Amino acid sequence: MSIEQIIGRYVRVEIAGVPQRIYYEEAGEGRPVLCLHTAGADSRQWRHLMNDSDITAVNRMIAFDMPWHGKSLPPEGFETQEYLLTTEAYIETVLAVVQALDLDRPVLAGCSMGGRIALQLAALHPERFSGFIAIEASDFQPAWYDIDWFHRPDAHGGEMGAALVSANISPFAPNAERWNTLWMFMQSGPGVFRGDLSFYTRDESLIPRMCQIDTQATPVHIIVGAYDLTCTPEDAARTAAAIPGATLSVMDELGHFPMSEHPVGFRPFFLEGLAKMPAWTAN
Amino acid sequence: MIEKLRIMQGGLAAAPHLLRLGRLFSETVLLEVDGEEFYLTFEKGHLRHVVPGPSRKTPYRFAFRTDAEAMMKFWKPCPEPGFHDIFGLVKIGRGRIDGDILSLVKNLRFFKEVLSLPRHQPEDAA
Repeated sequence: MSIEQIIGRYVRVEIAGVPQRIYYEEAGEGRPVLCLHTAGADSRQWRHLMNDSDITAVNRMIAFDMPWHGKSLPPEGFETQEYLLTTEAYIETVLAVVQALDLDRPVLAGCSMGGRIALQLAALHPERFSGFIAIEASDFQPAWYDIDWFHRPDAHGGEMGAALVSANISPFAPNAERWNTLWMFMQSGPGVFRGDLSFYTRDESLIPRMCQIDTQATPVHIIVGAYDLTCTPEDAARTAAAIPGATLSVMDELGHFPMSEHPVGFRPFFLEGLAKMPAWTAN
Repeated sequence: MIEKLRIMQGGLAAAPHLLRLGRLFSETVLLEVDGEEFYLTFEKGHLRHVVPGPSRKTPYRFAFRTDAEAMMKFWKPCPEPGFHDIFGLVKIGRGRIDGDILSLVKNLRFFKEVLSLPRHQPEDAA
């Protein structure tokens, strides 16, 4: 028997004037590292790194569930709303969590759509962070599928979404973690994956902003898996090339959900990313 | 190719979880490899018939078309990037899906796992 070091709590914030009760988990002490999950999933994707005592010995790892995801309920009145994530709402959510938890210039580590918004924040609000680790992140990805497939009355969007994103998981991933990763998509609320993908596949606003990113002030490190069909190494390389000073690592045996699908394989790449972030000292 | 498809048929018959996943799937699927047609007829998840073409009279719900080299790479125990999934083959330009794609998506886990069954057989089984 064992009890993990991860602790979960709720924080209440207002986003665009709407009260939201957001679930977050944290583990460790030291430099704050705020971790963002992918579309259609939740903070459980980060559980392995948050249980890694080498990482948590010097880092305060924090991961939260976006509203509508995981243990963060949708807002009051959701039953008549169409969930469509926007860049503006996503930025406001991340900044609200940083403020509510009183995080002093955390490292922002985001995967997929979390990596996209990390780059948006690197361009628009760098003063709130010390650096950015953008995983499976690119400037823009048009959909190679119909996002409306994943929200229909005649089929289970979660099961279809999981079957689709399985294309992005490496065959090197341990079977148990492959299926734990897919389970989160299977559990996703109706229309949530679609609403996330709307942001991820339709918003091109990052492209002209990338040249604004000052990596001297806030480093940007991009990590990408070779088995990622959604954000390919070519997509990540194009993005890194457009950000002066950004660095890039390619993981030959990983896919789109590296921290969840293959935590052992991802660990050295995440540590490499953390090492590229500025040194941190407690105030 | 037909030997691989027979392996797939036998593997499905021996996989109760796939038969359960496919219990509502009763369709004919066209698999075209290097222009060679194979009509796979499923009944309630069972692969009842594997019928080589060509045929202009056999209706099918959706088709997956690829080349033999890509298919063999797909069936490797640990495929290289792009060859590890049918959508990967489409993305790298080695596969094409047409027909009722929504029917495929509704049964995506079932179809992908059935198609990959030869991946788990010994290399010399075919």
